[in-house]
Amino acid sequence: MNTLLTSSMIALPQFHLPIADNSQTEFWQQSKSAYSSAGSRWQAALNQACLDGLLPWLQAERDPQAQAWTKPANRPSFWDVVNGSAIDLNGSRLVLIPTTAIDFAELRVPQEWIDLPSWAGDYYLSIYVNLDDEEIQVLGYTTHQQLKQQGLYDPIDRSYSYDSDDLIPDLNVLWLSRQLCPSQVLRSDIAPLPQMRLEQAENLLIRLGNTNQLRPRLAVPFAFWGALMEHSGWRQQLYRHRMGLPEQWSMSKWFQSEISNLGQQLGWDMITMEPALVLARGESNPTTKILLRQLTIAGQPYELRILPKGDNLWRFELHSTSTNKIPRGFKLRLLTEDLLPFANNEDIALTETDRLYLDVQVSPDDGLVWETEPQPERFDQEILRF
Amino acid sequence: MRSRQSILEIFSTFLCFEDDLATRWIVDGRLRRSIQGCLERSSENAVSPRFWALYWYQIWQTESLSNSRSPRVKISANHLAAYLQEVCYWSAQKLAADLAKKQLISDFFQIAIIKLDRVMKGFNVDRGIEMKSYASLAFTNAIKDTLRQRQEVEICTDWALLHKVSQKRSIESLQQLGLNPETISIYILAWQCFKTIYAPTNGQGLRKLDKPDLPTLNAIADLFNSERGTIINAPTHCDGETIFQWLTSFGAAVRSFLYPTLVSASQPKSASDDTEFLDDFEITFQASLLTQTIDREDEIDRDNQRSDLQKILLRALVKFNVESQRLLQMYYGQGLTQKEIASQLETKQYTVSRRLTNVREALLTALCTWSQSTLHKTLDANVMSDMSITIEEWLKVHYSHPDLPVEH
Repeated sequence: MNTLLTSSMIALPQFHLPIADNSQTEFWQQSKSAYSSAGSRWQAALNQACLDGLLPWLQAERDPQAQAWTKPANRPSFWDVVNGSAIDLNGSRLVLIPTTAIDFAELRVPQEWIDLPSWAGDYYLSIYVNLDDEEIQVLGYTTHQQLKQQGLYDPIDRSYSYDSDDLIPDLNVLWLSRQLCPSQVLRSDIAPLPQMRLEQAENLLIRLGNTNQLRPRLAVPFAFWGALMEHSGWRQQLYRHRMGLPEQWSMSKWFQSEISNLGQQLGWDMITMEPALVLARGESNPTTKILLRQLTIAGQPYELRILPKGDNLWRFELHSTSTNKIPRGFKLRLLTEDLLPFANNEDIALTETDRLYLDVQVSPDDGLVWETEPQPERFDQEILRF
Repeated sequence: MRSRQSILEIFSTFLCFEDDLATRWIVDGRLRRSIQGCLERSSENAVSPRFWALYWYQIWQTESLSNSRSPRVKISANHLAAYLQEVCYWSAQKLAADLAKKQLISDFFQIAIIKLDRVMKGFNVDRGIEMKSYASLAFTNAIKDTLRQRQEVEICTDWALLHKVSQKRSIESLQQLGLNPETISIYILAWQCFKTIYAPTNGQGLRKLDKPDLPTLNAIADLFNSERGTIINAPTHCDGETIFQWLTSFGAAVRSFLYPTLVSASQPKSASDDTEFLDDFEITFQASLLTQTIDREDEIDRDNQRSDLQKILLRALVKFNVESQRLLQMYYGQGLTQKEIASQLETKQYTVSRRLTNVREALLTALCTWSQSTLHKTLDANVMSDMSITIEEWLKVHYSHPDLPVEH
């Protein structure tokens, strides 16, 4: 049970942070055709400013490992449709909500950041962004639980509004309460969304992927929209449709020519394997190209490899790249595009092992999603198209 | 300005400004009858104004929890407004004198006194600060905050302002215009469409945002038309011209809401302009509440906690290095802004901001750890936030912040 918070009219010293030099210039140069409207590009600029202002300070003062939840290459697919971003630090998630309102009257959090299990945070920071003066100001924070219990849900724009007077103005309280009262309840329960069938998702992607649909998040019931956003692969697809971009995850294209820009930015790489090595492993297919992606799982480096074995047969492998083996219990798993399991879709390390692997037979145009257990850091599901 | 002497006056009179000078006190007859009635029924003699103020504060606090529109809430709020007239005046006067540009004290006074409700909500007897000291800090803050907003309003175009207002305040500004809820929801939808389609695209900031051109207005209208089904009593199909008219009046409404044109301040103003409230109000006096208030204050005065707090914070303060001491002295002692400190120390404002945060963190840690280990107090974030505010109040009083009024 929380004690009642008395808001005070006593102002604490304002907490300003600079937006790193050049970061905005860079943003405006690079974002020319990355957003579907002037409003969403502006929204993205504000969110970028929050990250650029807050992250260096957090890394310097709180946790050198603090990082944005989303990788830069994925951010447009968030910010084009939803306001807000997240920073993961010491096992907690801070959701940053930028505002340009000078009245500091309310914190307005889009429903996605509260009601989507994979998006929800522990703490929500209200951040005033002033791009004219190139600075941000942290106005205060609250928790998921508080927002859920005391926030006013507005169905018109699907957001939770929280009175600024009820924010905790001093960020020091956030750090100190983690230390002194570690058992405090930060989150309310979140009901999982009903799973969406592939066909439904495909229809939605076509409907909401139309750029005439300027506010897609409000165009269909939240359960549908939420399911689409909750699945990173679909979120990326939606963005691609809206921007009229070609398929970014076509494995055949990657192997025939090269990895798409997005794929490269998200860490995919291709190497040519020495034939001798291939032979030594007793594999018959002479193809020597291998797809690689570095992962960090539970603090250790791993590598995910994808090898075409011909005739629509593909191999997925997980290797440890440190001197340690893959610990017992680790899993490598493949799912259909709508995240359903299928026969022989999982390899588990029954004992410590050198590699986990799966062979899978696909039909042209099939989508597959890979995942590991435990999840890699900054994991964002990808739909690989075969 | 003549200072008031009797309890009767202190709780029933309001300042009257003439040519921006506080010239005289005007009696509010109903408040006077109320306090007179209480004085007659009270057996306690020579109760100081401080206790009467706490008495009214308690009534205000208890009653506003059950029914914030009850006459007792209004009368107690007005007694407190009367009580805090001087405090408010000195906060206004001090700030007006500090600013280079000529400012009206009466304007500042009004900005502050109409915030009385929020000021009182933030008051907490247990934090150990006196009501007048607290009110002085809070009034000063209310004025500064309004000035900050006005300054921004002054340099922004109406189109920028539409981006610089929260949904909450924008609805209030439309309500102030006298619009009905249905019309307001039309405006809000148009405004949301505007923000979706029109924003700066050049990376040059927001303040100078220009009027949208016709194709943009038409695009806003198109979006509005496609979404108007979501509002009750949706208007008929609208075009760019209609959108332009709506947004223009919206922008003007926001401007005058965030920066209202000065109304004559010659009339005495209380916290609530509602003059009907006392006509059939029966004077009730709760003698026991007054006695309780006095006892409680005595207890708090005797209580070691406040001096303990003092000890803990002082002990933490002396541990700071010379730089931090100097920083605190400049910020809390001389009342310099972070910007001013930065220029004196030849550093950046952010450095000052960060260092102040770190110093305050050390104090908060000291206080929290102490109350957890010595008082065995159960901490949660709200308790800690309250402590953080206690520290802020303590620092301001400790370094005798110039915001605090000198008793004249």
